Order: sequence, then structure tokens, then C-alpha cells
Amino acid sequence: MNRPVRIDGYAPISDYAAIGDGRTVALVARDGAIDWLCLPDLDSASTFGALLDADRGGRFLLQPDAPFESARRYVRGTNVLETTLTTATGSVRVTDAMTLPTSGLAPHRELVRRIEGVSGEVSVRWSVQPRFSYGAVAPRIDVRAGVPVAASGRDAVGVLSFGAGDAVRHDGGIDGRFVARAGSTACLVLTASHQEPLVLPPRAEVEARLEETVRHWREWSDGREYDGPWTDAVLRSALALKLLVFAPSGAIAAAATTSLPEEIGGERNWDYRYSWPRDSAFMLRALLALGCGREARAFFSWLLHASQLTHPEVRVLYRLNGAVDAAEESLPLVGYRGSSPVRVGNGAATQTQLDVYGELLDAAAELARFEGGLDRDHARRLAGVVDHVCNVWRQPDAGIWEVRSDPAHFTQSKMMCAVALDRAVALADDGALRGDTARWRRERARIGAFVETNCYSEAGRSYVRSSDEDVLDASLLLAVLGRYDEPRSPRLLGTVDAVRRDLATGPLVRRYAGTDGLAGEEGAFLACSFWLVEAYARQRRLDAAEELMDELVGLANDVGLYAEEIDPASGEFLGNFPQGLSHLALVNAAAAIAEARA
Amino acid sequence: MIWGAIVGGLAGTVVLTTLLRAASELGLTRMDIPFLLGTAVTADRVRAKAAGYALHFLFGLVFALVYFAVFAVIDRSGFLLGAVFGLVHALFAGSALVNILLPVVHPRMGTTFDAAGSAPLLEPPGFLLRNYGRRTLVVTLIAHVAYGAIVGGFVRLAG
Repeated sequence: MNRPVRIDGYAPISDYAAIGDGRTVALVARDGAIDWLCLPDLDSASTFGALLDADRGGRFLLQPDAPFESARRYVRGTNVLETTLTTATGSVRVTDAMTLPTSGLAPHRELVRRIEGVSGEVSVRWSVQPRFSYGAVAPRIDVRAGVPVAASGRDAVGVLSFGAGDAVRHDGGIDGRFVARAGSTACLVLTASHQEPLVLPPRAEVEARLEETVRHWREWSDGREYDGPWTDAVLRSALALKLLVFAPSGAIAAAATTSLPEEIGGERNWDYRYSWPRDSAFMLRALLALGCGREARAFFSWLLHASQLTHPEVRVLYRLNGAVDAAEESLPLVGYRGSSPVRVGNGAATQTQLDVYGELLDAAAELARFEGGLDRDHARRLAGVVDHVCNVWRQPDAGIWEVRSDPAHFTQSKMMCAVALDRAVALADDGALRGDTARWRRERARIGAFVETNCYSEAGRSYVRSSDEDVLDASLLLAVLGRYDEPRSPRLLGTVDAVRRDLATGPLVRRYAGTDGLAGEEGAFLACSFWLVEAYARQRRLDAAEELMDELVGLANDVGLYAEEIDPASGEFLGNFPQGLSHLALVNAAAAIAEARA
Repeated sequence: MIWGAIVGGLAGTVVLTTLLRAASELGLTRMDIPFLLGTAVTADRVRAKAAGYALHFLFGLVFALVYFAVFAVIDRSGFLLGAVFGLVHALFAGSALVNILLPVVHPRMGTTFDAAGSAPLLEPPGFLLRNYGRRTLVVTLIAHVAYGAIVGGFVRLAG
């Protein structure tokens, strides 16, 4: 039980928990405020955006009138959150959920907050301050059928209070207060519409949908097949990843937010509400380890479908609906704790990043192993991609970290091109892929020669970041994970040791030691830390892997979620949240250890 | 001549529906006629949309036949006269048909007298449909004028 704190109106990133419905995600702070919700979809404009501007962003506040402490957890096996708020006079339990649609006329999107009196009496106040279009529009609030409704253009939200006091309209918001006594139950419902009239649900249906939502999540969790160590952390990661799956298309968003900073007050603020094909191999392996064959198949199909327009090139990122436009712009918001600019869109979309092909072919190989082959159309398109790799691997690129400095010959990019050709040849040998395998083998050998000649430092006994920069980069760990070479080859053993020695602070690994074209510093990258665990496991250094894994699992927030980065000095979460890649890397690291121990 | 009204009614409804949908995509209105009509017969969203489109085309035909009857009585027709009929039709729809009559017959449409009860309610459209966005009336007028002009034009061509 902690007393929630805010700095200049901003909760620590680790104070957030995520709830969602497979279309959008809301972030609930430990103090009961919902500071982030994009409607109708994850990549739509925010309606609650206080996360990025405490004054103008809008939020849904719900908290006791008196000083309070809070404790919370997810309802077992679900993405439904329970927060207990305790004051000197009593305590209340708030259950937060984005409900899943059931049969019957449900709202387009529905956020439910059920408040139960647990003990004593607690005076509770709530305030809904919707700000459409990332805070640009303070909506007009009217009453429809007794329900206060805020509307702007295509979008509208209504607030229904069931036993939570009368809703009072005022400029820019809808407020209420009530006293929760032990045994009492109240319910606040945010009903949202997009391009249609609002649906105003009755309480009985809301409560039934909430129960059905809990049942649905439990059923999904019970279907997971993971049987290994760190089960709780793996299951929570699976549930977090499921929140990032955009159900209408099968795409998987990298994170639920935009512009949470990699450095407080800095400019490293990016929009992660897109799907990165790069994550495909990590995703496929994680999904298959979790027994999510359906999601794996859907994601891979979505990926090949989305990249159809740019074939044989695979773009760095795609919108969740498969579109390629992601023009980057800055919003007039102050940013999380003054971290500006607040960006929407992502300029990395137009970069060249060659490593993506390795991850794509690795994912294809994983799926082929699981399914016993590849769909004929997919195989034909993948063969075209492999030929493209043969044509482009000599080019410099922006690398996996999407640096904004000049393109370079990044070692990991070349290695993943080699991995792409390795997988293609293996798939061809199995009869799953047809193409000019002689050329694929020839180019694979040339890439290998380039890397071994230009990208290895005898002095450092390690591969280096690029052919022009004699520094370390944690992305080199992916050479082990992607099986660029035998995991226990002397050069890969040396590289893993060097990453631990030079880039790690305790259990936390930084991405690189070189430049990236941006001002300032960033925290340690959690995915890299879990990659180190997996690299140890693949190299059969299991004691080191397990020790590191224990430490990293202990760094999750109180509900088991991770951001993109952690500040090694303060332990503070940094970057977008919850971060899919961090959770993917956790699942794969745990599965690798389980596999090695088996 | 009646075939002109039938073909015009279908073509006019296609144009009207397309214009309303485009306005919705452009953020000018939250009006969704197929959704409103369909939810009168089913609570299932997908079926409601399908039923709503069917009902909308049926009503489009019925109104075209009403136009046709009036054209026959006054022995005049044409694009301009059809457009005037469409204008009147839109004003009638916004002020009485959807605002007053639809909530009365729609089992899930809220009124100003309703509080949350045992069944989900749809947000009522309000006078001149302004609850669904302030530009809804303008959009509705333009769409219905186009519909009327097409019906009037086809009746004239067939005559």
C-alpha cells in the first residue's frame, strides 16, 4: 500500500496499469486517474491525454476526497484492474475494464469503473474531462436522455453514473461525488461512439459485460501453454501483448503510447502506436511459445498483406490498419514532465533498415516449422523478398535503432541479411520455398566475408557496431538469437561477454555506446537486457541466464508491466508503455531457459 | 413513368447514402441512417447495419413513389422540382420524422424523458438532428436535395 505521488501533475510511468479491449488501451494511474485513452482505436487521437499534458490533455479522475493510499492488482488471468484506495475512514475497491462487446447493442467502446465499498465510509469524487484531438478540442457538453454527452465532429462520449452521484456539467467536464459505504456498489461508465449515435447502456448490461469480460480474459489465459519458470511474469507479458494486438487487423502495436520520453525533459520521444515488422520474429517465437497459434498466423498474414503494396521492400513500420503513411508531426502539448516535442507519426517509416528482412524470414521459418509448411502465395512473395535482400545488402542503412545520423554499414543489419538468406536456403531445402538458391548461398557467403573482415575487433574480441565504428552495440546479441553463427562460436561468446562488460549496469543493458544524431542520453533498454538472458541461455550459460532473469523480473512495476527503458541510476521507467518488445523479450528469454533446461 | 421513379429512387438513395457516409468520414456528422434504422429491428450491430441498409433502400423507393404521385397530380416533374421536394423532405426528416416520429417507434431510441433503464438507448437526434453534429442539417439537406433532383430527373426522363 503506497501513497501515490505526482511530480508537476505527472505520475511516474511505473504507476500506470493498462486495460484494453483489443482495439484501444487506457492507462490507469495508481491514484485512480485515467490519463491516457485514444478513441476509437489505439492509434487514434487521444480523448484523455493528461499523460502528455497535465493541464490540457484531459483525464478521468476517480479518487477519495481525503488523503489516501492505494494498492492494486489485475484480477487473476485478466486485463481487468482492481485498485484499492484506503483513507482514514474506510476503503473502496475500483474495478477498471474496457469491456469486450457481447451480443446485444453494446457501445462502440465502453470503459467501466465499478466502485465497491470495502470498509467504513469513503467520500469519492470523480471528474471526466474529455479533450478530443490530443487536447485541441474542449468539447461542448449537452444532455441526451438524461446523460451528459461531450461531442466533437465524428466523436462523442457519454458518462453514465449508476449510484455514483449526480453528474454535474461544467465548462470542459462532468463531475460528481458520492459516499461509498461498506457493501455498496456504484458504477461509472464512459460510453464512446465514432461516426454513429451514442449507445447508452443500462446498468444490468454493463455489469453483465464486465463479468463476461473477466470470463473471456480468463478463458484466454487458461489456453496458454507455457510450462516453465517465471510463469506469472510470462503470463502477464502474454496478457500485455494481447492488449497490443489490434483485433480488427491482427497487427501488433509496439506500445500503447506516444512520446513518453527516453530521457526526462529530452527530445527522444517517439510514437510507437505502429506495427514494426522487425518485431515479427520475436513475436512469432513468443506467440508460439505461449500456444497462441491463431494470433501468430493472423499476425504473419497481416504482415505479408500490409507489405504487399511495397513488395519486395518491407517498410520499417506500418499503421495498424496496414497503411504506410506515418508522417511525423509535433503536437502543441508540453509533453510528459516537459519532455517535448510530443510527436505523432514516425519519421522512421521512410528509413532503410536492412535487418528487418532477417527477422521476417526467421519468422517465416518459425511459422513453417509450426504449420508444416508455408502458404503457396506467402512462399512466392517471400522468395521475392529474398532476391531483394541479395540486391540491397551492400547499402548502408539506419540500423535497428533507427538512428537519425547518417546511414552506416551496421553489423547487425548485415548479419540479419545473412540470417534471411540462411532461413531462405533452409526453407528451400525443405521444399517450402522456391528460388535461385545458388545465388542466395553465394550472397550469404559474401555477407559473411564482409562481416568477418570489417565488423570484428580483434582488440575488443567482439563484433562492433558498424564497419566504420569500433564501438559496441547490444543489437549484436541478436546474432546469437537469430543464429547468425553457432551460438558458442568464439566470436559470439566474446561479443556477449563484451556487451555485459561494457554496456551493462547491473542487470540493465544500454543499447549502444556510439552516436545516434540526437541530443541527450537515454536509459537502459529492457529488451536488450532480456536478449542478454536469452543469449546466455542459447550459449548454455544457464546460471548466468537465470541469475540475470531473476533480477530483471524483479524490475517490473507492481502489476508486472514494463516500459521501454529503465534509468539505471534511479530505477525510473522511461519510454513508451507498456512496451511490447520488452514483454516479447521476457517471454522468449524465459522460454529459451526452459528449453535449455529441458 | 413509374419505372423512372423506381430507378431514380434507387440511384438517389445510393447517392444520398454515399454523401452521408462521406460526410461522416470527413467528421461533419455522426448521423448513421442504416445504424439508426437497423437497431430498430435488432440489437446485433452487424445485422443492424445490414438490415438498416435494406430498410433505407426500401424507404428510398417508397419516398420516390410518393414524389412520383405528387408529380403525377401536378403534372410536372424534373430535376429542379425534385430538388425542391428533396429540400422539403430533408426539413421534414430533421424536424419531425427522425426527431419526433423515429424515437416514438424506435424501441431503443432515447428521448428527453428517458433515464437509463433496462435496455440500451440510442442517443436521440434532437431538433434538426443537431445532436449528431452541428453540420448534420447542412449535410442532410444537401444529400436529400441530390436525392430529390435524381428522382425528379429520372421521372422526367421516363415520362
